[in-house]
Amino acid sequence: MKTAQEFRAGQVMNLDGQAWVVLKSEFNKSGRNAAVCKMKLKNLITGASQEPVFKADDKLEPIILERKEVTYSYFADPLYVFMDEEYNQIDVEKENLGETANFIVDGMQETCEAVFYEGKAISIELPTTIVRTVAYTEPAARGDTSGKVMKVAKLDNGYELQVAAFIEIGEAIEIDTRTGEFKGRAKG
Amino acid sequence: MNIPQNWHIFCRVIDNFGDIGVCWRLSRQLAHQFRRSVTLWVDDLHSFQALCEAVDPTRAHQCIDAVQVRHWQDPLPHCEPADVVIEAFGCHLPEDYIRRMTRHRPLWINLEYLSAEAWVKDYHLNQSPVHGLRKTFFFPGFEAGTGGLLWEPQLQELAHADDAARNAWRQQLGLPESPGLTVSLFAYENAALPDLLQALAEHASPCTLAVPQGRMGAGVAHWLGHDLAAGDRYQRNGLTLVGLPFLQQPEYDQLLALCDLNFVRGEDSFVRTQMLGRPFVWHIYPQEESAHLAKLDAFLSLYTRDMPSPLAASLHTAHQQWNQPQHTQSLPWQTLLEQLPSWRRHALSWREKLQMHGDLASNIVHFCTNQV
Repeated sequence: MKTAQEFRAGQVMNLDGQAWVVLKSEFNKSGRNAAVCKMKLKNLITGASQEPVFKADDKLEPIILERKEVTYSYFADPLYVFMDEEYNQIDVEKENLGETANFIVDGMQETCEAVFYEGKAISIELPTTIVRTVAYTEPAARGDTSGKVMKVAKLDNGYELQVAAFIEIGEAIEIDTRTGEFKGRAKG
Repeated sequence: MNIPQNWHIFCRVIDNFGDIGVCWRLSRQLAHQFRRSVTLWVDDLHSFQALCEAVDPTRAHQCIDAVQVRHWQDPLPHCEPADVVIEAFGCHLPEDYIRRMTRHRPLWINLEYLSAEAWVKDYHLNQSPVHGLRKTFFFPGFEAGTGGLLWEPQLQELAHADDAARNAWRQQLGLPESPGLTVSLFAYENAALPDLLQALAEHASPCTLAVPQGRMGAGVAHWLGHDLAAGDRYQRNGLTLVGLPFLQQPEYDQLLALCDLNFVRGEDSFVRTQMLGRPFVWHIYPQEESAHLAKLDAFLSLYTRDMPSPLAASLHTAHQQWNQPQHTQSLPWQTLLEQLPSWRRHALSWREKLQMHGDLASNIVHFCTNQV
């Protein structure tokens, strides 16, 4: 069993005997150091969706699925196409990627994991940390180097996120794919 | 339509009196106003007794004020699940009880903590599919689209009490007749306390400060140079400090209604002073990673939205300092006290807004009635 807050986009759980893939997961602190999670789930058999709320420490049953390392090739709407080590083509529907699609860009180098259910690729899991380049953001605020003052930045694919005010256009940044949040300037 | 009649409320006392305070008020309101059969399961009867002296901590089952009070022990004594089961603040129901729920299929509500944050509206009334059941998350809140706040109609009688009633309460509580301000103080330990006491002592008009026994005691004693026990009264310049015992809920409500300004903490007293239409300064329950500061900001943004901007600025500063006393900016207590007339007007209009969203117990009953 895993706690609700440990589930990430792309992972699959058993709810009432059915397999549900997590398309999106967010959590908020409620009170007295407790937290609640809200997920967007898709039923892998019926395609139905639901948005349940769980206590962050609710125990849920993960479904362990076959996985395979893949790299991203191209997007042919509505399919994201990946390639495994033996150059087999693996298609994943855009809808099934959920929030993960925000971080899939042409030319990305990260090795991902394709997740299979009954022989079909149903989601992609990214590394926890990825590096992306800022396509646009307002000019850097002078003087603030604390990283606490934030501003909006846009990636090449149009995805927007909050970054530290000192980040400039063209800079590489680290993003936590579990939360979609800015982690810091890319090292090196 | 079958209206759910039997209700079980489960409460674990984490610390202080917030959890049991909310559960006890909700239980009584369901029993009195809605004539529901209510059983309140509590794991700590000693803490409960501090709020309600009728509780006998040695008795596992007792009836108090029309509510069946049962000691929540492990294992839970055998009982059939009620029509509605309220799990207060995610307290984790006993597994055996949940197994029985899967046969009876009651309405299962997780009553959550109060927060003014925007995400609450998005989470309110969402469900968990767990154990083959549906658990509904019920979030109290300050806006439409939330569960509202916990208040009963009788509270408004306190808010509008006449001078004779107020004088009677003052006498019962042992507070002196005062031509100036009356202020109550209930908070967690707070390094900003000496500045507040000094400001009250130096205020232009006399001030009576009522201090129920609690976690402020050591700070008050340090400033005074000696303890302030229940029944004690000390004068310093224009400030009269009056020590009170730890008050039961009805007496504490009267104190809040009497005062021109209430220092409150946590959730229960914070809600009561708002629904009485009284100005207040809130000491929010501190959380890991300073998660409480976002909640404080969210509340202040709502509370001060339609307020005159000088008053809003003073309130933001005062709350930041009261909750983060390490800040170096000096507390605007004198400024804030001078703004009390306009603050009082705002507190009354804020209460009217809150009332428009209905009260928590009525909203829960309405939800449950619509589910069957």
